[in-house]
Amino acid sequence: MAEVRLSGIRKSFGPNEVIKGVDLQIPDGSFCVFVGPSGCGKSTLLRMIAGLEDITDGSLEIGGHEMIDVAPAKRGVAMVFQSYALYPHMTVADNVTFGLRMANHPKEDTEKRCHEAARMLKLNELLDRKPSQLSGGQRQRVAIGRAIVRNPEVFLFDEPLSNLDAALRVEMRAEIIRLHSKLDATMIYVTHDQVEAMTMADIIVVLDKGMIEQVGSPLELYHEPNTLFVARFMGSPQMNTFAVDLSDAGNGNVSCTLPGGSSIQLDGSSLTAGKATFGIRPEHLDIVAEGELQGRAALCERLGAETILHVDIGLSDPIIVKADGLMDVKEGDAIGLKLNPKACHLFGPDDRRVRSGSLQ
Amino acid sequence: MFPMPIKKTKPWTRFAYQVFLPITLLLWLLPLLGVALTSIKPAADLDSGNYFGLPSRVAIENYWLVFTNSNIGYYFWNSIKVTIPTVICSISLSLLAGFALATYSFRSNLIIFFMFVAGNFVPFQILAIPVRDLTINLGLYDTTLGLALSHIAFQTGFCTLFMRNFIKALPDALIESARVEGVNEWKIFWHIVVPLVRPAIAALAVLVFTFIWNEYFWATIMSQSVDVRPVTAGINELSGEWKAQWELISAASIITAAPPVLMFFLMQKHFIAGLTLGATKG
Repeated sequence: MAEVRLSGIRKSFGPNEVIKGVDLQIPDGSFCVFVGPSGCGKSTLLRMIAGLEDITDGSLEIGGHEMIDVAPAKRGVAMVFQSYALYPHMTVADNVTFGLRMANHPKEDTEKRCHEAARMLKLNELLDRKPSQLSGGQRQRVAIGRAIVRNPEVFLFDEPLSNLDAALRVEMRAEIIRLHSKLDATMIYVTHDQVEAMTMADIIVVLDKGMIEQVGSPLELYHEPNTLFVARFMGSPQMNTFAVDLSDAGNGNVSCTLPGGSSIQLDGSSLTAGKATFGIRPEHLDIVAEGELQGRAALCERLGAETILHVDIGLSDPIIVKADGLMDVKEGDAIGLKLNPKACHLFGPDDRRVRSGSLQ
Repeated sequence: MFPMPIKKTKPWTRFAYQVFLPITLLLWLLPLLGVALTSIKPAADLDSGNYFGLPSRVAIENYWLVFTNSNIGYYFWNSIKVTIPTVICSISLSLLAGFALATYSFRSNLIIFFMFVAGNFVPFQILAIPVRDLTINLGLYDTTLGLALSHIAFQTGFCTLFMRNFIKALPDALIESARVEGVNEWKIFWHIVVPLVRPAIAALAVLVFTFIWNEYFWATIMSQSVDVRPVTAGINELSGEWKAQWELISAASIITAAPPVLMFFLMQKHFIAGLTLGATKG
């Protein structure tokens, strides 16, 4: 079992710096998810941990040992690729045991591990098939099996589910979580899908432009985003954000002037005057006749359990409201929105948090 | 639907098609038919001026006489001695070079690759005299080894271009995943890359075999003796000082043309799979 520690990790491709100094400590046995938009460097970071990319500067420790100059195979890591990377000319069993066979691992143990992995991943029936005879989900399970037989201290997953269809993705998600609790190994998982990040992670690392935006548990990131980027990235539909003017209202309170002219008093803001960005999640807005915000329902997306309303309040982007599925609002209706003061986030001009809307 | 079925075209198009197709076909096959016909004519037919008519009888013994009355048998064996090692060596070398050029990024990678490509555009005729001088200086002139070595040198460029592009088309993740599993580069090459480019190997084998077997230029420049001269150059011997034995030359030509055709049909399945391998997923 191993803790993974990154300090001052940098990576340049020629003059382009893609990873700009990452410090991160991933505790032993945790499930850590790197999430971010495409091009944020999350896959590069994972490949650096795997040893497939050189580290330009900084230090990488796995289980307390410096790994910068250690070959990928000796790092005690196993990687699962997005494209499965199964060898098309080998059977499932040969795929799973390829690494062990090439290392002249004792035959009996190789077979034992292969069958154990197959049992764990329900691949027993498929061991003699070729990858071309498998479905996408089965292929991904073989790829995971190939990682398991190596008994690694750290599992690395590079967007393993993004080639699967939606239903299968949910199923495989649960399977990987189950595997994590069974194997007790450290897992690092890269995805651009924030739902995967929220549902699977112990720790989420949000990356943007080669830098860590925030590290924390899923709920921490959701309720207490440090930056506007994290606030917008986590959650679907994303957080409503718009510009407001702040003025000091005394007693440690600030008054925010909202679009449409009304204002709301909030406590605990470290910024008391000037321009700020106001943020509130779609589920923290209530539909009322008269609210702090007034607008017109431009679009109703009825999902059954809930209805997503796009409310035009005169800004360039509509305000998104998550309402009850039975909500009786039609497109074109004039409605008011009531804000829950405990759920209002404020971000300063540098896009960093000045007030958290953590509902407390 | 493309192309439009001929049955659906206008009558005069159909007529032209039906007239010109057989004519074109005949024109196309005429040299081959001529050679085949001549090869079964008795010598007397040709002596009496029956060049274009039907044989007076089927003189199948020409095929036997070629081997007993000339050195064609030796030449045939010489061709095999040059062609097979050339095929094996140039494909092995190009597999190794192609693997390196396709999977490793080093500074001169592209420059080396372009040199392989550019080398294919150098007309080999201008190299005839330098290469001949070189082999004489090395003591390899008029040896099977010398001939094979020059073929290998000239074929490897094209083969490397072909192989590099095939290996490049394999997903990077396959090789990376093996590296993470601790498989060394030789084993990756042998157990992953080689099996996956097998169709390309088969296609190249047919191509190179045909190139070298049919090769005439270097065969005449680099060889003189009966022990070295390949069959393409050797056939020449049958046109004697006073009289060309056309019936024997024809029979020898047919025998000589057979191996590449045979090779093509034997490898046809792989050959065609090889040409489309990169086109589809997996």
